Amino acid sequence: MNKKRRIQAFLFVVPALVVLAVFVYVPLLSNIFNSLHSFGLSSTTKEWMGLANYKQLFTDKTILICLKNNILYAIISIIFQVGGGLVLAAVLEDVAFRKSAPIFRTIYFIPTILSMTVVCLLFEFIYNPQMGLLNSFLSTVGLDSLTKVWLGSKKTAMYAIIAVSQWQSFGYVTMLFIVAIQKIPHELYEAAEVDGAGKIQRFFSITVPQVRQMMFVTMVLTVVGAFTVFNEPYILTGGGPGTATEVLALYMYQTGFVKNNMGYASAIAMLIFVITAILSSVQFMTIGTEKEDR
Amino acid sequence: MKLRKVAALVMAAIMSMSLMACGSDTAETKASEAGNEGTQTEASAADAAGDGEQVVINFFHRWPNDPKNSMFQSLIEQYMEENPNVTINMDCILNDQYKEKIRMIVGTDEVPDVFSSWSGTFAQEMIATGNVAVLNDMYESDTEWSGAIAQASVDGFTFDGEIYAAPWSQDGKVFFYNKTIFEENNLEVPTTWTEFINVLDALQAAGYETPIVEGLADNWAILHYLGTMNQRMIDPDVLAADYEASTGEFTDPAYVTVLEKWQQLTSYMGETCVAIDHETARNTYFATGEAPIMYLQFAEITLLEQSLPDGFEYGFFNFPAFEEGKGDPNALTGAPEGFMISTKTKYPEECRKFLKWLVSKTGGEALTTQCGDISSVAGAVDETNALPAQLEAMEIISNASKLTPWFDNACNATVYTVYGQGAQAIATGDETPESVMQQVQEAAASLH
Repeated sequence: MNKKRRIQAFLFVVPALVVLAVFVYVPLLSNIFNSLHSFGLSSTTKEWMGLANYKQLFTDKTILICLKNNILYAIISIIFQVGGGLVLAAVLEDVAFRKSAPIFRTIYFIPTILSMTVVCLLFEFIYNPQMGLLNSFLSTVGLDSLTKVWLGSKKTAMYAIIAVSQWQSFGYVTMLFIVAIQKIPHELYEAAEVDGAGKIQRFFSITVPQVRQMMFVTMVLTVVGAFTVFNEPYILTGGGPGTATEVLALYMYQTGFVKNNMGYASAIAMLIFVITAILSSVQFMTIGTEKEDR
Repeated sequence: MKLRKVAALVMAAIMSMSLMACGSDTAETKASEAGNEGTQTEASAADAAGDGEQVVINFFHRWPNDPKNSMFQSLIEQYMEENPNVTINMDCILNDQYKEKIRMIVGTDEVPDVFSSWSGTFAQEMIATGNVAVLNDMYESDTEWSGAIAQASVDGFTFDGEIYAAPWSQDGKVFFYNKTIFEENNLEVPTTWTEFINVLDALQAAGYETPIVEGLADNWAILHYLGTMNQRMIDPDVLAADYEASTGEFTDPAYVTVLEKWQQLTSYMGETCVAIDHETARNTYFATGEAPIMYLQFAEITLLEQSLPDGFEYGFFNFPAFEEGKGDPNALTGAPEGFMISTKTKYPEECRKFLKWLVSKTGGEALTTQCGDISSVAGAVDETNALPAQLEAMEIISNASKLTPWFDNACNATVYTVYGQGAQAIATGDETPESVMQQVQEAAASLH
């Protein structure tokens, strides 16, 4: 009986497994195979390289720049999207905003539904050093000294790119937190209020612990997103000036499709995979232990 | 309980069946498509052999944008009308995607019958797959046709005496200058680097903050400069050895000198140049008269004309010679683009016939008058149907001692990517010529 049921259950997951296998696991395995070879897009044969591509990973200075930029991306994304999104969600769910919350939710969510390419072109205009909105705004309010060649300077380019992502994804994370906060039983807040807890204390003692699960989910999302980011630097700077805004995914693309070195590009892909796999499994394991604790 | 079990089993069966159905569905359609194709091509092959009918040529190029796309459409329609037995299937995608796709299919049986290619290293990469036909017989058998094609352009597709393409367009890069501003300030066209710098200083003194402009956010624009500067400065033999992936070292101290000159040049471009692209620089600086000099391609003439105010007069001068330079100062940076024929085509003769028709006065005239590119066919245009600037451009190209390929067609991508990024960082002040050359040397060494 039990065995039969197990077979039944298995039958249900087979379709999903097959799709996953064809589109995720087979490419993953073939990528491992590719990363041990040297070949270009047009080459008909693949030359065995052993671990040479992986050795190169550890001596390549550009990889270090990429890692630094991706980590910066992740840290800023966690602070602004997860931290900021949670605060914003709590504010919007507060009684004071009951009436206007739907309007704000829509406003914050709109950037998420815009195409990344459109957003990037929009920001290219905002950052334009001569006629861009940002510099014009700064000089209008008398802050001429702060005007910069935002995307053309090594110091500001990476932050300018990260800012675009924050602007776009902020609303999405906020939306997830709003859903999580709405699930918190009202009794908890009422009891806390009776006990004399202020709004800030209620936020830290009730909201934060209650949405912990969602915090992990959004953290996984933003961190994995930060390590696989491609569109923003590709469209806004192409990795420049110099290599100042290179990130792993962009460098992988350039290595594979511009430099025509698919083997090394596959090795970079493996690096991205290993990093995101480790980060998400750490985060998943933390969630797992949480559950057991209860 | 039993009912639930049955229901579950039925559900599972339905799900797996639907999945199988999906799978078999696509497989079937694919098979039938392939079958159709097979019968079609077989039939057409038989027909072609029989009464000369139904030839299908797959034609793949990189110009999906107008005006070129519609020009090709109408040319092909015209050809199919003249040759009712030929059907030309045209497919096109833009530059970078084209590079990716053609690289992926050129080595396979899917290679198109006729396809476009850049000269230099890109052409070599195509040829290395062994799927590109040698066209020497086509050139030799019809000297009337081949005699009209610019030799410098054919050279770009000739490797070890074998010609692999019919060049379709040619391009050159020179400094465009604002004639009015030059006259107002009594400036002569510079022929040496010192004179060039003097001109830039004089313009700056006359109030032009950016006497020369370039959109340095575009790496390729930087590479066009460096390609020319390296050619002018460095001993041709050393340069040839360094551009070859297997022997490249880039240890000649003159490379550092080139980057120092580059650094000097970018100091005249203003600090916003690193954040704008080439097109913006052309339209908002050069065309408005704010910057009197810009390094532009002849192919940009029609684009430029669109944004010029009335009465704007411009002239050309070739990149000035370096006093200490060892390269030929009369060479012109530029390259042809052309069409290749695959060795796997079923109709080699029909492909050659089509290509000869395309690369002729008909096609050349359409290219220059409708799209503004310079045709590689001599006499394709004259005063009646081309802009004076275009005729002057054709003259300059044919007078050049030789065509130097674009930097990104001349050497391996691993080297030029580092070069371009480094030169960009020099312009922003984040790298020095020495540090960039060191990175280039490392990149070149990694290819050995």
